[in-house]
Amino acid sequence: MSKTSLSKLFFALMLVLMLALVACSDETDGDGEASAGSDDNGSEQDDDGEDSEEEDDGLYSIDDFDNFKTNEGEAIDGGTLQYGLVTDTPFEGTLNWNFYSGTYDAEILNWFDEGMLTWDENYVYTNDGAATYEQDEDNENVFTFTINDKVNWHDGEPVTAEDWLFAHEVISHPDYDGIRYGSDFTNIEGVEEYREQFKDNEGLSIEDAEPIEGIEVVDDKTMKVTYKEVTPSLVTGSIWTYPLAKHIFGDMEVADMSSSPEVRENPIGFGPFKVDSITPGEAVTLTKNEDYWRGEPNLDGVTIKVIDPSVVVNELESGGVDMVDSYPTDQYPDNADMSNVEFLGLTDRAFTYIGFKLGEWDEDAGENVPDPDAKMADKNLRQAMWHAVDNDAVGDRFYHGLRWNGTTLIPPSHPEFHDDSNPGREYDPDKANELLDEAGYEMGDDGFRTDPDGNELVINFASMSGGDTAEPIAKYYMQAWEEVGLNVELLDGRLQEFNTFYDRVEEDDPDIDIYQGAWGVGIDVDPRSLWGRHSTSNYTRWADEENDRLLEEGVSDEAFDVEYRQEVYNEWQEYMVEEVPVFPTVYRAALSPVNNRVLNYAIGDGTEMYKYEIAVTQEEPMVDE
Amino acid sequence: MWKFTVRRMLIMIPQLILLSLLIFIMAQMMPGDALTGLIDPSVDPETIEQQREKLGLNEPWHVQYADWVSGAVQGDFGQSFRFKMPVTDLMMERMINTFWLSLVTLIITYIISIPLGITSGRYNDTWADQAITSYTYIGFATPLFIFALVMLWIFGFYFGWFPTGGSVKPGLEPGTFEYILSRFNHLLLPAISMSLIATVSTVQYLRNDIIDTKQKDFIITARSKGAPESRVYNRHILRNSLLPIAAFFGYELTGLIGGTVFVETIFSYPGMGQLFIESITLRDYSVVTATTLLFGVAAVLGTLISDIILSIVDPRIRIK
Repeated sequence: MSKTSLSKLFFALMLVLMLALVACSDETDGDGEASAGSDDNGSEQDDDGEDSEEEDDGLYSIDDFDNFKTNEGEAIDGGTLQYGLVTDTPFEGTLNWNFYSGTYDAEILNWFDEGMLTWDENYVYTNDGAATYEQDEDNENVFTFTINDKVNWHDGEPVTAEDWLFAHEVISHPDYDGIRYGSDFTNIEGVEEYREQFKDNEGLSIEDAEPIEGIEVVDDKTMKVTYKEVTPSLVTGSIWTYPLAKHIFGDMEVADMSSSPEVRENPIGFGPFKVDSITPGEAVTLTKNEDYWRGEPNLDGVTIKVIDPSVVVNELESGGVDMVDSYPTDQYPDNADMSNVEFLGLTDRAFTYIGFKLGEWDEDAGENVPDPDAKMADKNLRQAMWHAVDNDAVGDRFYHGLRWNGTTLIPPSHPEFHDDSNPGREYDPDKANELLDEAGYEMGDDGFRTDPDGNELVINFASMSGGDTAEPIAKYYMQAWEEVGLNVELLDGRLQEFNTFYDRVEEDDPDIDIYQGAWGVGIDVDPRSLWGRHSTSNYTRWADEENDRLLEEGVSDEAFDVEYRQEVYNEWQEYMVEEVPVFPTVYRAALSPVNNRVLNYAIGDGTEMYKYEIAVTQEEPMVDE
Repeated sequence: MWKFTVRRMLIMIPQLILLSLLIFIMAQMMPGDALTGLIDPSVDPETIEQQREKLGLNEPWHVQYADWVSGAVQGDFGQSFRFKMPVTDLMMERMINTFWLSLVTLIITYIISIPLGITSGRYNDTWADQAITSYTYIGFATPLFIFALVMLWIFGFYFGWFPTGGSVKPGLEPGTFEYILSRFNHLLLPAISMSLIATVSTVQYLRNDIIDTKQKDFIITARSKGAPESRVYNRHILRNSLLPIAAFFGYELTGLIGGTVFVETIFSYPGMGQLFIESITLRDYSVVTATTLLFGVAAVLGTLISDIILSIVDPRIRIK
């Protein structure tokens, strides 16, 4: 080989490598949404061909997606579904609802175990799960739960009321090392007293302890629970619905349960599939539970395996997996034309927001104390900052329309309570200028405004690093504010790493004036846990009496009437648009690709499609052509 | 020799104490803790606080350190907060994966690099040498995480010759022949990807040393004695040129348990490298300290082994 041909070869190789570089550079934004546990950073792989669905502007809309899979073709008997967990960290393997904390464990658990109650599209418990519930007519604080007779553990033992009670006892035990003990439990009569007795009396076993006063096991399949306070929130996710198999865990020390082989190696449940084998951190195989209470599953089994975000698309194209637990939305535009999968979509239960620091957390009183002299305390200033930013542009430019302008603090993922008619504060820089002029923020010669006392005004903005879009988006906001004369600077001149960010925001670092965060919202619409006076998660530290009043009314007795509750929450949403302690920036879409061979599948809540119904049309997943 | 080894071992003790202290203090200085990541408004803040208390995260660092040392001396590194299992078990699980991957990588690396290095050194400035040298330059310049992705794409997805992730086909019975075969099959692609990059330095060292040795006086002597060319190369030159490689062998051994983050992540292969990084990002302190300490011990031991090997192959550098 001569020198020239060698260098040609070298050049060609370099080109190939460069292409690979380009293909890998598109990283998902991981704007560190709290609570979801982990954010997936993905890198993008090849794509080919034109985008068939793509419109001229290259934008998509969540309205074009359905959350039900189209059924095409005849189901075959059996078949094994391949399910991908998209993560760059192995799953923890705490495979029991009572002990888990990671989202990936939850994804696995969903296949082989389930809660006693299911919920509808408005996240209210229904009576069509493994148990039914009924509120007592004489005493509204008493609920009676009846477990379906056909519900059995995978080993054939019946799921009993004892098991359900046992879960309550274990979680309330001081040695319990999970994170589930909280208001859901303390709201039950006698739980706190039950917990106390272990602290006074070491070595006391659950067997010998005084039982929880508020839980009565009527018979094998019936349990009565007395709650201290019954609010509409109780039936949207505040009941602990996961029993713990007493015949297995009964003799174990509470502290040893979460690390026991019964949780990690041979987990048990009563769902449509049973665990066959676990390869720690990478895969789980499941076979069907013929004795499943809803009926025998169509599939023979399910294989769940961890796949790295950088190869999701390849795995889907090549039929390595039928579906994944989460798909990096930013990889959608390049792969919308994959022929072997159908993309399902829905509005994610999450939103991104900008918060204003308006006070401090009072540790002793356990409440947020607003500071009337805070830099951001002027309402006009906050309203103006909302008017100054164009969030639809952010959604279009950075997310191809798969994120869009947020209007109120109850996202459209809660259709019953999200106020469609409330436009929030629209992009209107003139209005922003007007509001600022009105409040006395005078424009200086340098193009920046001073505060009403004539002092220089510099607003410090904390934003999280992660993904490619974090920095340009933060820059965009700062520029938009500069347009209306506000001098906004990045805290420390850079983006903050996830842990540092939340540490500083949580501890009310006086250097932070505004911050950009994100929340995943629970199924319970009640905003108290995020924006209430007594919530540590209310990082704005803003509270006022009107807000307290509205939030309380939203969970009052009258609020059992849905219309009344809607009114209250509409009023609250409007009040937040007026006060702007925080404003939503973008809502987001969650997309989920599913192989065409899969039938009877839907994403989202209240679809009345269950996992045992899933079927496939051929033995192997379809492959992209 | 023995004296030397024992002395080295004794020096290790203060080294390790200092190391553990540094690791511990640095881990404490990281912002956030294992519970910061759990920001979830539906979890009671009091519960989180009680957990912190229970985990001893609110104690001053020297109290925590004392606790940790007393456990570590007995081989108990505590519980991983995230995995809710003893750190030692967790590390064993991952170390086995990493060990096999690294071992296969190491073997493939030597299989590829030694013949290439010898060819390149013996026939230097021929086209074969140039081809090999070009390969090493490209190898030097190619980042492993991209190379591994490209390899995975070509041989895993496009041709479908290798499995694309995991350490074994899900659902096989451990211990069976099929299981072992599947494990080996899963190892191959990541191992080949890593070795193709890892060989380059070995090839270069070997090549340079052979070229160097070729011109030494004793080689000329050997040749003038009439020793056949193959004997000159295999006995005289090679033995001397393998010195630096032997020296590196000790370090390579430490690599056996260290693992690599990129390859493990791309191939979804749970190993030590991944465990280490994720324990840092998720602030799983007990795992961070234990893994760093383990890596530290391995590095110190690796140096020792390297020195011992060197003194065996080359009597000149034996320390008195």
